[in-house]
Amino acid sequence: MANLLWLQGGACSGNTMSFLNAEEPSACDLGTDFGINVLWHPSLGLELGDNVTRILQKCVSGEIPLDIFVFEGTVVNAPNGTGEWNRFCGRPMKDWVRELSGVAQFVVAIGDCATWGGIPATAPNPSESEGLQFLKRKHGGSLGAGFKSKAGLPVINIPGCPAHPDWVTQILVAVATGRGGDLQLDDLQRPKTFFTSFTQTGCTRNMHFAYKVSTTAFGQRKGCLFYDLGCRGPMTHSPCNRILWNRVSSKTRAGMPCLGCTEPEFPFYDLAPGSVFKTQTVMGVPKDLPSGVSNIGYVKLTAAAKAAAPAWAEEDIFVV
Amino acid sequence: MSKVQTLDISPVGRVEGDLDVRVDIENGVVTNAWTRAELFRGFEIILRDKDPQAGLVVTPRACGICGASHLTCAAWALDTAWGTTVPRNAILARNLGQIVETIQSLPRHHYGLFMIDFTNKNYAGSQYYEEAVKRYAPFTGTSYEAGVTISGRPVEIYALLGGQWPHSSYMVPGGVMCAPTLTDVTRAWSILEHFRRNWIEPLWLGCSMERYEQIKSYDDFLAWLDEKPAHANSDLGLYWRMGREMALDKYGRGHAKFVSWGYLLHEDKYNKPTIQGRQSALIMKSGVYDGASDTHKLMDQIFTREDTKHAWYNEGGEVHPFDRLTTPVSKNPVDFDDKYSWATAVRHVENGRLEAGPLARQLIAGGKHGESWQHSDSLILDMYKKMGGPSILLRHFARMHELCKLYREAERVLREFRLNDEWYIKPTEKDGQGWGATEAARGALCHWIEVKGGKIKNYQIIAPTTGNVGPRATDRERGQIEQALIGTPIKNASDPVEVGHVCRSYDSCLVCTVHAHDANTGEELARFRTA
Repeated sequence: MANLLWLQGGACSGNTMSFLNAEEPSACDLGTDFGINVLWHPSLGLELGDNVTRILQKCVSGEIPLDIFVFEGTVVNAPNGTGEWNRFCGRPMKDWVRELSGVAQFVVAIGDCATWGGIPATAPNPSESEGLQFLKRKHGGSLGAGFKSKAGLPVINIPGCPAHPDWVTQILVAVATGRGGDLQLDDLQRPKTFFTSFTQTGCTRNMHFAYKVSTTAFGQRKGCLFYDLGCRGPMTHSPCNRILWNRVSSKTRAGMPCLGCTEPEFPFYDLAPGSVFKTQTVMGVPKDLPSGVSNIGYVKLTAAAKAAAPAWAEEDIFVV
Repeated sequence: MSKVQTLDISPVGRVEGDLDVRVDIENGVVTNAWTRAELFRGFEIILRDKDPQAGLVVTPRACGICGASHLTCAAWALDTAWGTTVPRNAILARNLGQIVETIQSLPRHHYGLFMIDFTNKNYAGSQYYEEAVKRYAPFTGTSYEAGVTISGRPVEIYALLGGQWPHSSYMVPGGVMCAPTLTDVTRAWSILEHFRRNWIEPLWLGCSMERYEQIKSYDDFLAWLDEKPAHANSDLGLYWRMGREMALDKYGRGHAKFVSWGYLLHEDKYNKPTIQGRQSALIMKSGVYDGASDTHKLMDQIFTREDTKHAWYNEGGEVHPFDRLTTPVSKNPVDFDDKYSWATAVRHVENGRLEAGPLARQLIAGGKHGESWQHSDSLILDMYKKMGGPSILLRHFARMHELCKLYREAERVLREFRLNDEWYIKPTEKDGQGWGATEAARGALCHWIEVKGGKIKNYQIIAPTTGNVGPRATDRERGQIEQALIGTPIKNASDPVEVGHVCRSYDSCLVCTVHAHDANTGEELARFRTA
């Protein structure tokens, strides 16, 4: 039995919606099979009004042991650091977040908003939003760089806009079944098991990447989305092409460029004019190269790739 | 003179985001109400000076519940601003994404958000109570678990088109990013069939879709209910019977004035999208329905106004969204005589405050206005008249009634795709003004964009929940839910579940609008708080 409390700050509820798509285990299985007791959730909780406040107060006082505190959405600090632009149960949400994080065994940030600030923290960040322990790549965030939950871990960051339901349910099951100690986190506090490989790992367009055959415009039946359409698959850490979305596909498989949404810089270039769905280049070479590849290495690689490209690579491959 | 009891409810959960409500209660009945949204993220401010296409990335993320609807609006807004050409396949693919998102929302909202309240102890005396608990208890109820789990299936079709749900950006000016294959189409068919065979027919209807589709009037519906125990005992049958017993047909009325932008563009009629040309290209027509005079007319975006008198913005009186500046106040104390919400008061320049949502859509679908080829269906209008106007029971029924119609339209899209034709025509970027609208599951949604100098000069969104949870307007006319709460009986002030029924019947989505809470002064708490 593990008590779980899930709250939303500057959120769109997208991580909740994504979570409800989970199948093995499903959101309901978490309770029936793994003993996770949902104390309250904004979309699913039974209580309203003061009865919600009472649950939060009991968690803070220790009357209800809080095993897992899940936070979705940004911590809103506006105006002027007060947090009054996002109030909940009578006070700034940021104050609840601080108190509840202090009593929880594990604190889990779900989605980009709770991890790094996400879309609301995009310049000019009108809501003065930040993540629980990061603002973009800067360590600290709302709880401070030194924060550790009662179990001795920093905030467990499950980024993504939204996070994939399996990334969430697997971590919750790990914690609830006593395998929290097996969690290995990377420098950005993401579970390594999900965020070491790349979005490109397993992409159906890898052969086209290898031969530098580009999807030059949307709606085509061939090519790689990296060269012209701004795909960030080769430099983004996520298992999107290993653990498929909604069980059936991924953005890059369907023809949509990866936006890099599991990385702190999302949305990249702050959505500046000319940056959306277009590969940013300098003298014809992409500004952002596949992770670890040098400029010279890239020029050599693509020259060789083009020379080696077989004729079929230019033909449609994802045909009717 | 009876004592007025003031109740602050913060939050009213299960409305997607948090809603705060204050009600005055006299003799156990609500006599006045205020609804408040309490989160400001400033998406319109973030979008200023950004790439013209930034809305395709940002606005689906305004709302994780109806992201496809936001994406639809963002794409059509740019199509109209840039003067693109959109191929028929792309119109169909956009419609399909929108449809499956809405179908997903039906069981998810019904079981996850709405029916839980039927298990409230308030109704322990009901003859249906034991059955309701068995079916609808959160997480463990038989229908709850089945319904919430299967709600993830329709959006698998969205993932076939856009890679994932929620938060894809596969709709772009000039078409869509994808080029589905035969296997995508056949897989989509089998997902729809699975959904029908495992939920729609056995659990929801207790009969075939074809039998349900024969219902054309209130009398037909009542006859269907009595026809077989399987109908009466279905989740729809139990909803209706227990809902009547709970008197859900007796309150939650609102202003009885309704609006819909209409939605689902015809694949051969909107290939050259313009703001003016949308009206006559819609499969589901737009409209305004005035219940008092029983009249229908078309809706046009030029009639829209946003009034910020009682909202936390420094913007003077009411303006058309193209003229809005989005300037939040720096301090946002709650003052019910002045400003008390981040939601604005959305008005029709002639008709005032209008209800958005499925009840509005279905009442408008019953009108004789619009084009002869457009969809029409008079069931809900017939029920509305025979039942004496709007109510919680009818509002939620109207929502679920759209299920079979949308399912059929999804089937039609799968038949109409011409897989070897084009999906995207690359547009030329240019400056201009655009407008995109649709109907999210919970109501009328639209985006206005102005592109100048190759970047966004102004971006404005009006979400259905802005329309429904907005505060009073300058003329003091109440917001929709504020009005709908009047007359609500409250049995137990420490657990005012009836307020929840009213709010949840609108399927409000506060995250689109903002968010919610309670900032009462200590004095008010001491005087009035009863919970």
